[in-house]
Amino acid sequence: MKSYSVLALLLGLWVSLSSCEDVVDVELEKSKPVLVVDGWITDQPGPQTIRLKTTAPYFSNGASPVVTGATVTIRDNQGQTEVLKETAPGVYQTQSLRGKVGNQYTLTVKTGSEEYTAETAIRRTFPIDSIGTVYQKESMGRKEGYTLRFYGREPLGVGDSYRLKVYRNDTLLNSPHDLIFLEDRYVDGNYFKGLDLGLEPFRKGDKVRIENHSITEDTYAFLTELSTQMRNGGMFANPPANVRSNIKAVQGGKKATGWFGGSAVSSAERVVE
Amino acid sequence: MKQLLSITMLLLGLSIAAIAQERFTISGYLKDAANGEGLIGATVQVKGQPVGVATNEYGFYSLTLPKGEYQLVYSYVGYESITKAVSLNYNQKLDMQLKSANVLIQEVVVKATRSEQNVNSLEMGVSKLDMKTIKAMPALLGEVDVIRSIQMLPGVSTVGEGATGFNVRGGNIDQNLILLDEATVYNSSHLMGFFSVFNPDAVKDVKLVKSGIPAQYGGRLSSLLDVRMKEGNAKRLALSGGIGTVSSRFTVESPIVKDKSSFIIAGRRSYADLFLKLSPNEDLKNNQMFFYDLSAKVNQTLSAKDKVFVSAYLGKDVFSAKNFGDGDFKMNWGNKTATVRWNHLFSDRLFANFTGVYSDYDYEIGVPQGAQAFEWKSNIYNYSGKADFSYYLNANNTISFGGNVIHHRFTPGNVGTNGEGSFINAFKLTERNAREYAVYLDNEQTLGKRLSLQYGVRVSAFDYLGGLTVYDYQGEPNQKKLPVNPRTYKAGESVSTYFNVEPRASVRYTLDDNSSLKASYNRTAQYIHLISSSTAASPLDIWFPTTNHIKPETADQFALGYFRNLKDNAIEASIEGFYKTMTNQIDYRDGAQVLLNDHLEGDLLFGEGRAYGAEVYVKKNAGKLNGWVSYTLSRSERRIDGLSNNQWYAAKYDRRHMLSVVGIYNLSKRLSLSANFTYNTGVATTAPNARVEIDGMVVPYNSTGNRNAFRVPAYHRLDLAATLQGKHNALRRWQGEWVFSVYNAYARRNAFSVYFRQNETNPQQTEAVRMAILGSVLPSVTYNFKF
Repeated sequence: MKSYSVLALLLGLWVSLSSCEDVVDVELEKSKPVLVVDGWITDQPGPQTIRLKTTAPYFSNGASPVVTGATVTIRDNQGQTEVLKETAPGVYQTQSLRGKVGNQYTLTVKTGSEEYTAETAIRRTFPIDSIGTVYQKESMGRKEGYTLRFYGREPLGVGDSYRLKVYRNDTLLNSPHDLIFLEDRYVDGNYFKGLDLGLEPFRKGDKVRIENHSITEDTYAFLTELSTQMRNGGMFANPPANVRSNIKAVQGGKKATGWFGGSAVSSAERVVE
Repeated sequence: MKQLLSITMLLLGLSIAAIAQERFTISGYLKDAANGEGLIGATVQVKGQPVGVATNEYGFYSLTLPKGEYQLVYSYVGYESITKAVSLNYNQKLDMQLKSANVLIQEVVVKATRSEQNVNSLEMGVSKLDMKTIKAMPALLGEVDVIRSIQMLPGVSTVGEGATGFNVRGGNIDQNLILLDEATVYNSSHLMGFFSVFNPDAVKDVKLVKSGIPAQYGGRLSSLLDVRMKEGNAKRLALSGGIGTVSSRFTVESPIVKDKSSFIIAGRRSYADLFLKLSPNEDLKNNQMFFYDLSAKVNQTLSAKDKVFVSAYLGKDVFSAKNFGDGDFKMNWGNKTATVRWNHLFSDRLFANFTGVYSDYDYEIGVPQGAQAFEWKSNIYNYSGKADFSYYLNANNTISFGGNVIHHRFTPGNVGTNGEGSFINAFKLTERNAREYAVYLDNEQTLGKRLSLQYGVRVSAFDYLGGLTVYDYQGEPNQKKLPVNPRTYKAGESVSTYFNVEPRASVRYTLDDNSSLKASYNRTAQYIHLISSSTAASPLDIWFPTTNHIKPETADQFALGYFRNLKDNAIEASIEGFYKTMTNQIDYRDGAQVLLNDHLEGDLLFGEGRAYGAEVYVKKNAGKLNGWVSYTLSRSERRIDGLSNNQWYAAKYDRRHMLSVVGIYNLSKRLSLSANFTYNTGVATTAPNARVEIDGMVVPYNSTGNRNAFRVPAYHRLDLAATLQGKHNALRRWQGEWVFSVYNAYARRNAFSVYFRQNETNPQQTEAVRMAILGSVLPSVTYNFKF
């Protein structure tokens, strides 16, 4: 239910009348670098990409250091294996492997003497019927313009989760506010009859593309935590905590973080008129 | 009853047979001469002897003494004392009416009674704030506030400006038993946490007990906040009220039959939404946010031995937004309580009170129309019955005993939709029922001139009831545990039962006329728990009973104090130390889903807690300048399996230093000035030390895994107020006063929290953001009247 964020907004509304925020200098503890695995396997034609980096001091304000020269392998439960090729420093890509709905995937990363694995699966998705737009005046801090509506039937059977990626004029909306993910717990088997995606409004002539990525329950929980921790201000902030990770150390591996997810993707696009 | 009593006394090792001399009882009620309100905690003292008794919550006292001639001194803080000569050669009734002292007399009287309270009473860790003082303190936007006022006392803190509730001696906010005329109040705040739910005009007495909690009270670990409503003026019709910046109040009280029955009705409503209506902004105009509360009470004297009180409270906060996204949005929450009490005197030495209470805390959230329409309701019901007896055995022993039963009913989530239109499915979370029982026995005993004791025991039990399927939860500590082994229980069947024996004891040893030592120990048990989804409690938090999986929380607290009066009792001072350990403290795993989760138990983690500290309190009662300084040095820590590397970590509300200074200066008969200053160490929170790039986003990360190792900057604030009373005119009944107040006088941007985010324009850049809730000076004007 997307209503949570609505709630948080409203709760914050009256407070916002008098509250104020400013950027402050704070001293943080020192940290040692930790491996970060960031990659997805989808049912789309490749390449599938896995990025290896390390953590950096919080205020380092630049791209994180990459991890090069690692051996990265993806294996499915049907015996297919592919060793990924490092196409750019820290970027490992497949040549032929393509995900399939219903399969399980295991990622293995070897760097030096350390070894890590992560597991995921690709679940079913459902087609997007159409994208609607509704013109709205400026309201409650939302600018005037066209808000997006999502139409499609969620398949029957509880346990499906989805992430919607929205592109405006071929650019992925990727700020913390743009993370949209759904689970079917309260809407199982129903028809989304114009679900308000809650994004900043679009303008006439904008090209919209929506991708509907199926995700595992685990990935849904990961995205929930990610979204929470990235916009954790306000009176009713959640306790700050590390976002979960499915990267596990196998042999000689130290603590690692990051996420390896799997998705089947459906999509639709239109131009806002 | 007689039999029960003699058994009781045998148990206590007391002997009634030993009474050689003939004894008689003098008993009655102490009342305020002006309005007939019973005086709580007033004293009746035998002149020249260390013998006396305090009135109970209804103003009743009973004193049994050997036959003879006595001078009895009736006194109460801020009232003129009366000394009465009594020939005690038969059992007699004596009701006394005390007059509120004017300022000049007050200086004298206050001294006399205060030495009694501070040095001679058994109470420690007890703070009583009279409504006069609370009303004189500077208040946020002029809203006189009971809860905010007690936060100025030693050992009491809050997690931030505008946060719900309060923390006592390192305890969580759900560990305070908040009683309004004996009814449990689950949420003590209006507008999140900015104002408290108690209408100051309807409140007679406020008492906070932090240690040495009497055996009569239980069910919460850390404290008792006992709020008593006024009974209603028994002498004449009285109207009072006020017009403030945030809300307006109006109170009517009157006798129904003079000195037999009276009532009070007090109402309050905020008008933030009325201001919104004036806004040129269409959206704001259509929004609503306001709170209101209504308090009502009737009392009736049935006979010399019987008195009945009926009181009710209704408070509500309402938020609604028109055209929010697709449609409207509404949300409201509030407490409802109703209490019926019957005082009965079985004899002039046995006072009984029977109470029936209904209490309901609910919230409702919904989108009334459209494709995403839903309505989510949540309730916590509490039905309870109790019987409390005080037996005034003799001048040296007062025995209290009784018991209570509470039926708890939790319906945490009932989500409905408007049928066809909505794509959201209706569902209902499991309703949970439980019953809590307790019996207690307590004796307050004076042993000679120097020593007095209070000792007792409370035995409590909790029954988690069926009508549901229960599970065990299995899994790794910081992972979601999965429900296994489902068992279905019929309604009313017991699923799990818990017992706790809770000993309570206090002792006071008088060193000399002006000083005493006090010590106390208490064990408390708590069976219902607040699971908060956010670091500051929100109105949507979940109260959860003890279940087969969640065990009762218990606490043991030791406290030791030195109490001393100075300057002929004009100044009272105390220093108290406490050490508290707590079991079965509840937290939840990282990323737990607290709301709308039927398997919330699987997300909970358990551990232990400890809190310790020292509190220094110096209060000046006499003279033109009144007020106090309180300083607390303390720690509050938790160790939870699966959190913070299983090490001890600071609780969110751990505040090492807390300082409060309150000063009230009576410049003239008409003008008084007041000021508050408060300083607190910042709250503990977790800060990242590293950043992680995932999917093109920069996410905060802490590589140590330690919790709450980061301190938000210290909090400090100064508030000022001036009260100007209208000219006193004996012929005019109308009395008015203006209250001008300034909150946060030097406009400090106190951080409510510091959080970490990506810069909006340059996502590669990360920053720490300080959020201040009330970061500027907030002036206000209030006009109060009495008629």
